Amino acid sequence: MAETLLSLANWLLPLVYLVLLIDYGATFFLRTKTHARNAGVTAAVVFHALVLVMRSIHLGRPPLDGGYEILSILAFSTAAVYCMLEAAVRDRRAGLFIFILVFLFQYTSTVFMAGGVAEQVGKSSWARLHIVPAIVAYTAFAVGAIYGLLHLLAHRNLKRHSVGVLFDRLPPFDLLGRMTWYAVVVGFIFMTISIATGPILAKHMKAEGAPAIWDPRLAAKIIVGSIAWLIYGVAILGRLVGKWSAPKVSVVGLTGFVVTVILIIATTVL
Amino acid sequence: MKITVVGISHRTATVEVREQFALPGGLAGELLRAVKAEGVFGEALLLDTCNRTEMYLVAPELEDCATRMAAHLARLKHISPLPDASLLYRRDGTAAVEHLFRVSASLDSQILGEDQILGQIKNAYSLAVEEKSTGFVLNRLMHRAIRVGKRVRTETQLGRGAAGIPHAAVELAIQIFATLAGKTVMLVGAGETAELAARNLIACGVSNIIVANRTLERAQRMAAQLAQGAAGVTCPTADDESTAGNDTTCPARPSDDALPITRAIGLDDIPNVIRSVDLVICSTGSPEAVLTYDNVGEVLRTNRRPLFIVDIAVPRDVDPRLNDLSNVFLYNIDDLKSIVAANLERRRHEMPRAEAIVSHEVELFSNWLDSLQVAPIVKLLQEHFDQLRRAEIKRYGKQFSEADNEQLEVFTRSLCKKLLHEPLTFLRQVSRDNSIGDSETTVEIVRRMFGISQPDEPAENT
Repeated sequence: MAETLLSLANWLLPLVYLVLLIDYGATFFLRTKTHARNAGVTAAVVFHALVLVMRSIHLGRPPLDGGYEILSILAFSTAAVYCMLEAAVRDRRAGLFIFILVFLFQYTSTVFMAGGVAEQVGKSSWARLHIVPAIVAYTAFAVGAIYGLLHLLAHRNLKRHSVGVLFDRLPPFDLLGRMTWYAVVVGFIFMTISIATGPILAKHMKAEGAPAIWDPRLAAKIIVGSIAWLIYGVAILGRLVGKWSAPKVSVVGLTGFVVTVILIIATTVL
Repeated sequence: MKITVVGISHRTATVEVREQFALPGGLAGELLRAVKAEGVFGEALLLDTCNRTEMYLVAPELEDCATRMAAHLARLKHISPLPDASLLYRRDGTAAVEHLFRVSASLDSQILGEDQILGQIKNAYSLAVEEKSTGFVLNRLMHRAIRVGKRVRTETQLGRGAAGIPHAAVELAIQIFATLAGKTVMLVGAGETAELAARNLIACGVSNIIVANRTLERAQRMAAQLAQGAAGVTCPTADDESTAGNDTTCPARPSDDALPITRAIGLDDIPNVIRSVDLVICSTGSPEAVLTYDNVGEVLRTNRRPLFIVDIAVPRDVDPRLNDLSNVFLYNIDDLKSIVAANLERRRHEMPRAEAIVSHEVELFSNWLDSLQVAPIVKLLQEHFDQLRRAEIKRYGKQFSEADNEQLEVFTRSLCKKLLHEPLTFLRQVSRDNSIGDSETTVEIVRRMFGISQPDEPAENT
């Protein structure tokens, strides 16, 4: 019974995000409800949280132990972060882009979980101490990348004096720049925590007989995390010390996310 | 009851002519009181803006309403001779309804899709309600007109995009900064255009204003004037409720915003303060650029906050190379004009959708209005049958027991209802669908058939 319910909820999640995606699409293309409160996104986040709680109870552990479980957590955390941002700035115009990402995360997770693909990453609480900040960091990087992309588009439009399709469909330029900056800072802080807890995790994993640090898959993860950390660190230093402009930070933030995604895919496939 | 509109607008008359018919101050209320006191028109409402003066009237007969309106105006404004009544246009019935709905949809405005007419209609209606000059028909008409205006604004893009230069500048600023509240503006040049733009920005919440001018005394004078606030200007991008005053060319109601902090500087001080500025408006008469790459380029290159520069001067005041800096967004008068032109073109494309909404609402209202024509006869018919029923019960009631009388009451009510069902359905259908026949003739036939008198004439069968 619980298995069936979980399976149903697992398929409902991408559907819920798809409905939100269509709703945000309407906001973007038809310019409707651009500053309205959106109960739908809150309801979706609450529903997703309930599904995760149900899954935790059913499995007897937090759903953090496989790549596809983590994708679902990423979808949830991105939606939750966006929900809070939207409530704070009362602007729905970036929602379409965020929910494309959320939908893709959740759809991939659902399809592979339904296919019974499972990947055991780590079961100890030390592993979770390392994984949770990494998830928050990658969520922030994803949100930052989307805001960064929109920021660069807005910058290009304003520079070219173009009042075309995107002009007033995008959130204000300054707001996009600030959002990108906050996302980069939050992502960097949590990635630092994740990297700092890495050696502790490695020590405990070794004690549990887990692969050593020179295991290719583990080493690849460490390299990806470190490169991401380095790129975002450069963006923060550039902004604080080098007086970089907001669009420059967006370029580096976006580059960091693209590089990270390519590296994750490459290390997973190879 | 017939509806008519008599008036004058920017489409039919020049501003000199419109001035004769305009009703400044409290004259609008006085006119409504005068019309009401005259007792000719059942209901009246006056829509008076800079672009139109229109009187909406409801009465059984509306023959000489244009002359009457001209006479009232002449008396109220102490004009002699009377304003020429032939200058006024007049539309009756459905055409009057359609006219009002097109006005509220902003399809008849000087600037297509401008959003202030709806506020003006609301104000006109409030005044008429205050003066108790509206009734059943105009109340419904005005509610519908406001609904049409709102539908057009939400369901079409007719009101989207700036339609004037100051509005375009403010809209661009909002697209950059999200809000103008708390922002700092620098006016380079103390001319009239810069002052007008500054008042618009103050109304939108700008809190600090720096006036830079070649002559410091002049800058100080303007800074002192601006320190008094927006002085009756409203934010061009404010929503409908907050701009429910007059249209763009009229003096609007004063803003309640806090007064800005202003200061005056000379042109040489610009590089020292520009780092703290968010928006610059340049409008000097200088033959050479005032903001050059050489004097502010280096400062702006390391400035992290976005700077929006509007250069409305001809020849231009700002070195175009400044737009190459990452955080500087430079727009000149031609850029703003092309934005306005693109927006107006976009609005024109939306006209068919707005017209469709107007047509649909006109049809709905006309159906309701037509149904009013048969409403009195329906009521009279029901009363007539009820009177007959009561008279017959009174006549024969004594032959029945008390319990049977109750049954008789129920039976006769039901019988009357059944007898009236078909005629009433027919009457309502006639009012809805004119193809069946002229509703006035039908009503007259029914009246004669059942011997029902007009309210002011004796019944034929008495």
